[in-house]
Amino acid sequence: MDIVDILAEVDADSIPKETRDLQELTRAWVAERVAPELLPYPDSLIERVLERIRKQIELVEEQTGNMDPRTNFKLIIIQTELERFKFLVRSFLRARIKKIDAHPLHISNLHSLSPLLSTSEYQYLTQHQALLSQHYASSFLSQFPAGLQRLDDTTGGTSMIDKPDEDTAVFVRALRDVGVINVEGTDRSFEVKRGDVRVVRWSAVRRSVLAGDLELI
Amino acid sequence: MALPLPPGLTPPEIAFLCEMELVTVIPRQRLEGLELLGGRLPPLNPPHRTPLPLWLALLLKRQRRANILPPPWLSPHSLSAILEYETKNEEGFSPTPRLPPLPSNNSIMFSPPFLPSSTAEAAPDALPYHWLELGEMLLEAAADDFEDSDNVRKLLQGLREVRMSKLRKGVELLDAEGGIKMNGVGGMEVGEARAFVGGVIDGLRKIVASREQQRRDREKEERENGYPSTADYDEDEMEMQ
Repeated sequence: MDIVDILAEVDADSIPKETRDLQELTRAWVAERVAPELLPYPDSLIERVLERIRKQIELVEEQTGNMDPRTNFKLIIIQTELERFKFLVRSFLRARIKKIDAHPLHISNLHSLSPLLSTSEYQYLTQHQALLSQHYASSFLSQFPAGLQRLDDTTGGTSMIDKPDEDTAVFVRALRDVGVINVEGTDRSFEVKRGDVRVVRWSAVRRSVLAGDLELI
Repeated sequence: MALPLPPGLTPPEIAFLCEMELVTVIPRQRLEGLELLGGRLPPLNPPHRTPLPLWLALLLKRQRRANILPPPWLSPHSLSAILEYETKNEEGFSPTPRLPPLPSNNSIMFSPPFLPSSTAEAAPDALPYHWLELGEMLLEAAADDFEDSDNVRKLLQGLREVRMSKLRKGVELLDAEGGIKMNGVGGMEVGEARAFVGGVIDGLRKIVASREQQRRDREKEERENGYPSTADYDEDEMEMQ
């Protein structure tokens, strides 16, 4: 380790919490946009970011009346950045809603095993599903024989619960040395070192991505 | 309400990511430090060089409040050296910038666009992840800050073509199992290749899906019967590391 490395390390530790959160939020956004299935909701991260956004909006509201050109330009910078953050959060949440809409029953089952959704997402999912099933029941399901009225029937070899294709190929980058990754059902296995970029099945890297050793790109 | 876009990032979204890269700016006006959501913005004191995120640098540049110092790898000299490497080495892309040392504690890992790979202190001999987007954006907004912008533009175009043809040739290596290594690929290149590369791998996989399913069932059976199988071994090894 030479002096440059030591300096860089000191630098890395002095990086403010805000910048770390931006890196985390950006990573979460990219991952959610790319991953075939819904990822666990980063509760505390979103809470911190939303709180900062709220404070920044307050600041903008307080200072908007100020006509001093110098303050004015500062406000432009603050607002530009604010809009960038709002875009990140909004796009992140909308990408999640898309997945929730696509596979509601599957996600609801997963969520009951280990928490995946935020409180409001769970509320959205359950209420949306309740409305849907009520509507189906009143418009046509009630006229079916009792045995055929279920929307989540898994008997008879085929499941009615749709789920995403977990073997979809994704691009990943290694943040740490991961070791050997084995693609289940095949002879393929390979070693992944820090900095490597690979195109792999989601199912083969899911665990490493959730552990933070790999990131989706 | 739900996002209408397909999985993967669109080119504007990749550009959005690239705008978080740090670039070095030579301010022409004073500006006090600001508390931003992404961390504190250092005060600007002409003519002291300051690293700023690209979106802000472009904003200042458009208002003629600052000049942008292009990163060392975006010089004709470096680009022609990298172009020569890319042309000579048919396998794989040119090497990426050196990674920062691993943080000692368990803190979060930074990756592009949050690595300082496009500041004035960046390595001159390696293309960072957002090379194409960053080059294009700087040439568009700050062409007058380059010494020889036409030449840089030409070299970037050359690099893009060499690398695109590699990417296309790489498609021949794709198979159902996946796992192909693509070190050095750029952000925009991933965006362009995602649909096709992903589609080929997924398509091939579906063709051999029944064979794989048989094998998976057999392995599961073997596991339940207590016979060791290779998959088990690999999983154990992964957990140990």
